[in-house]
Amino acid sequence: MKDLKHIHYFTALLEDANNELVRAAKKDGGIAVGYTCYYIPEALLNVGNAFSVRLRAPKTGSLDISQYYMGSMNCSYVRALLERAFEGGYHFLDAFFSSETCQQMNRLVENIYELKLIDNGTFYHSIIDAPLKISPHGIKHYTNQIRTHFLEPLRDQFGIDISETALRNAVAEHNRMCAIFEEISELRKADNPGITATEFHILNLVSYSCPTGLILPYLEETLVELKKRKLDPKIPYRARVVVVGSEMDDYGFTELIEYCGAYVVADRYCFGSMPGRQQIPINDDEDIVEVVCRFYLETNQCPRFMSQEKVQERRDVVKALYDEYNADGIIYEQMKFCDYWGYERAVASFVLHEEMGIPTVALDREYTVQASGQLRTRVQAFVESLEIKKIQKAKNQNEGEKK
Amino acid sequence: MTVTSNNLKDNAKLFGDIFTEAIKLELANYDHKTILMDLKKKFEPGKLTPLLTGQVSIKAAVNQYLTGNGLQDTIEDKTGIYKHREWRGPVDTLYDYVKWLELWGILGKWLLKHPVTNVSALLRYRWMAAYLTTPSFFDHNVPGFRGTMLRAGRMNLNTIAKLLTANMEDIFSADLNINPENENAKKYICIDAYMPKLITAGFSEHQGILAHLVPHYLPSIINHHLPEHYLDVTESYGVPADVCGLPSMESGVAIEDDFPKIGCCYISTNMPCDGSIMSSSILDRRFQLPTYVLNTPMRHTREDTQEYAIEELKECIKFMEKHTGETYDYNLLREACERWNEQNALRLEKWEMNATDTPPHYGASNWMYRIFTYQDACGSQVAIKNDRKVNKVMRKSLGKLRKYPQQTRHRAVVWNTVANMYSALDEWLLNCWGIEAVFEFIEHQGHRPIDTATVDSMLAGVAKVIQEATMRVHSKGGYNAYTDDLWLLVEQYDCDMIVMFDQISCKGPAAITGLLEEEARRRGIKMVWLKQDLVDARTISRRDMRDQINKYMEAVMNETPLDPTLRDFDDGESW
Ligand code: SF4
Ligand code: SF4
Repeated sequence: MKDLKHIHYFTALLEDANNELVRAAKKDGGIAVGYTCYYIPEALLNVGNAFSVRLRAPKTGSLDISQYYMGSMNCSYVRALLERAFEGGYHFLDAFFSSETCQQMNRLVENIYELKLIDNGTFYHSIIDAPLKISPHGIKHYTNQIRTHFLEPLRDQFGIDISETALRNAVAEHNRMCAIFEEISELRKADNPGITATEFHILNLVSYSCPTGLILPYLEETLVELKKRKLDPKIPYRARVVVVGSEMDDYGFTELIEYCGAYVVADRYCFGSMPGRQQIPINDDEDIVEVVCRFYLETNQCPRFMSQEKVQERRDVVKALYDEYNADGIIYEQMKFCDYWGYERAVASFVLHEEMGIPTVALDREYTVQASGQLRTRVQAFVESLEIKKIQKAKNQNEGEKK
Repeated sequence: MTVTSNNLKDNAKLFGDIFTEAIKLELANYDHKTILMDLKKKFEPGKLTPLLTGQVSIKAAVNQYLTGNGLQDTIEDKTGIYKHREWRGPVDTLYDYVKWLELWGILGKWLLKHPVTNVSALLRYRWMAAYLTTPSFFDHNVPGFRGTMLRAGRMNLNTIAKLLTANMEDIFSADLNINPENENAKKYICIDAYMPKLITAGFSEHQGILAHLVPHYLPSIINHHLPEHYLDVTESYGVPADVCGLPSMESGVAIEDDFPKIGCCYISTNMPCDGSIMSSSILDRRFQLPTYVLNTPMRHTREDTQEYAIEELKECIKFMEKHTGETYDYNLLREACERWNEQNALRLEKWEMNATDTPPHYGASNWMYRIFTYQDACGSQVAIKNDRKVNKVMRKSLGKLRKYPQQTRHRAVVWNTVANMYSALDEWLLNCWGIEAVFEFIEHQGHRPIDTATVDSMLAGVAKVIQEATMRVHSKGGYNAYTDDLWLLVEQYDCDMIVMFDQISCKGPAAITGLLEEEARRRGIKMVWLKQDLVDARTISRRDMRDQINKYMEAVMNETPLDPTLRDFDDGESW
């Protein structure tokens, strides 16, 4: 297929957290809010002239300094962010909103703050207490935390309009972006999809890393282009996979999977589009903050939700994606030293494989994956096994028909 | 010459031989006199004496008494088995010995009360084997101790034994794995062990059981090789090796189906940390009980999270009422909270006493007791009675010349979670290097009294007790919750040193290594990092841990050991 018009621009935007669009928004007086987790309702952060940037550390190299501060047994995502903060990569941030989702992320924010790594006099940070189950009082608590730790400080410290109208506008804009992704995502269901998995990953990443208002026109244009795109006649993959797991903001991983002959039909990982790029249903009666918070809590697929029904729901969601997107297998990926995903990948891959009979592989990886030969070998082996299974299945079917 | 008396293996054999012989003679219808005479003939009296006296060779005894040294000489290399009882002078040896016999009494009483059930449990559960070594384990936790420290230590240990055996009696009497027709099973509410049992105090017909305490937490301390099997099980299930060993071990116990099957419902929790949140999904699959997840706030130090904490507690009580069919009695809870308050006040008094020049409160016998009584025996009469006695003994000793330790060089705060696989580390620090651990982090948990004035104030207090339970402070609530008190304690307890555990798989504390290091340097406090892997001695052995301290003391402090026999030894094959 022909390259998408903006794809090179998008990849350039992913070269730096403080990218061209972030700089443009800042120049316009925008307030940059950094965050890292689905618990932080992105839709509400793009209110008024505030804009959200889901933090990445592109081109990560040595992690020596962060290792000294955080030890070597913490996940390389948080270490990479700390290293980048030491290098001065996040001075553009006005605020960092976080949640005590995992210990490591929590400590990252504390380190950044205590070590004064953001050279910005008005820098504000806050860490909310986020429940790990859904209940009426839990939703109330979470909503309250979002309001008092994020929204009100945006108003009080940065003069941002957080009125109901302003917040509804922000959610509407967020929904416009999600609508685009919902349409693009549909393309992935086709046997011969009009978008490569890597392209999808790149589009998704820029939507998180750039101010929504500024990236939106590019995404709209890309959608139009995708609809008209001329497909290659040959199906470009040997197997279709759902990827599930921990934080993943390196599209090199998807490239690696494609290189091994598989097509990623659904991305159920932190920083992925499922959840994250679905429209939030709103109504005129309820308080918008409450509606949005409830939505984020209910759609959250973080393994830290520990009630039995949520644990089951996580498996059901993955199974539903597998069915709906007509996948052949599931890849569970886990950032090394991530406790949540370490357990989740073991238990869920066991259940999906042993009890539901779905071909599943569990992998661990570092923050940057492109250069990992070991990972490539494992993905390759998995893709081959899926291919063999498909051939075997077709053969059995043929024989059955003949009989 | 060495004489065996505390050598468990030899003792058991000797006891067994005598017992068998006595039964044989009795079966042959001999009268008691004849039996005794025959036994005397068969068993050399010289060999039997040490069973009663705990005596060693006079020369070795005098030497040990005078110098207090040579502690490791009393112990077999590798296995760590005592070659003979430790000589602590006539009074203390006698005291120690009486307490040791008392322990055997407690164990014997428990064993003989339900012999069939207990033997079934021993055969059913791998971890039960660890408890067989309890007497020897207790000995290892009071090495060198004399005077007040010995008394306090032994009293605490024997109280643990009493409470523990009562606990086991409850568990096995209700365990469906041992007796599938068991009607008692529904009388219990299973609780995640990282949550204090206090929340079940409002029931009179149902009792809380800490699900993990007996099957995994205590065995991991008693036998430092026991966790290895369960860790391997979890790893072969697919959980990575880098997660913390404690939740990993409990997952292994669950995967092996080695948890007693008991209870009408289960109260699970997100305490204390991420690893333990996740292991509960493995446990839930095995328990198959109606489960309530008690979600305690992560930012537990903040006021704005308390309403949620209380709401959660109320919901939890409703859930327990539903599954027990019993109404929660707040008067019973009030009584338990008041007892807890007394326990807490006595605890705080111990802290105060330790801030003096003659700190009487020391080591594993205390921190284990603290964990046990905070989590399990909170509000227990047995524990309070013991606390009163211990504090009385300690009070008396204040300001007086201490029998033990005779010599110390440093006062230290020991910070971060203790290594289960090396319970007697504080004792080694003191005996080998004269580092007196006057404040032990693991004891530093919830210590606010509960306001019992109204139901609401009481629930707020109980919610706090839960939120500040074992291991919570270093894992959640912001790093200040973990560090701020450290610097204060160093001053309050007049310490010149911090022994800082670096539990390699505990992510929260590890991620502020740099901040801690810099603050210690800024304050001019000597801080020695001590790597450990909590329950996995294969990664970092006890000997490796000692080696780290040895190197620091020799290279940085330029000191030599007080007791050279303790500097380096091999205890790799011990329990
Ligand atoms: S990958 Fe895991 S450890 Fe790392 S930030 Fe995400 S949840 Fe935390
Ligand atoms: S040591 Fe740390 S990681 Fe392990 S159970 Fe305790 S708090 Fe969790």
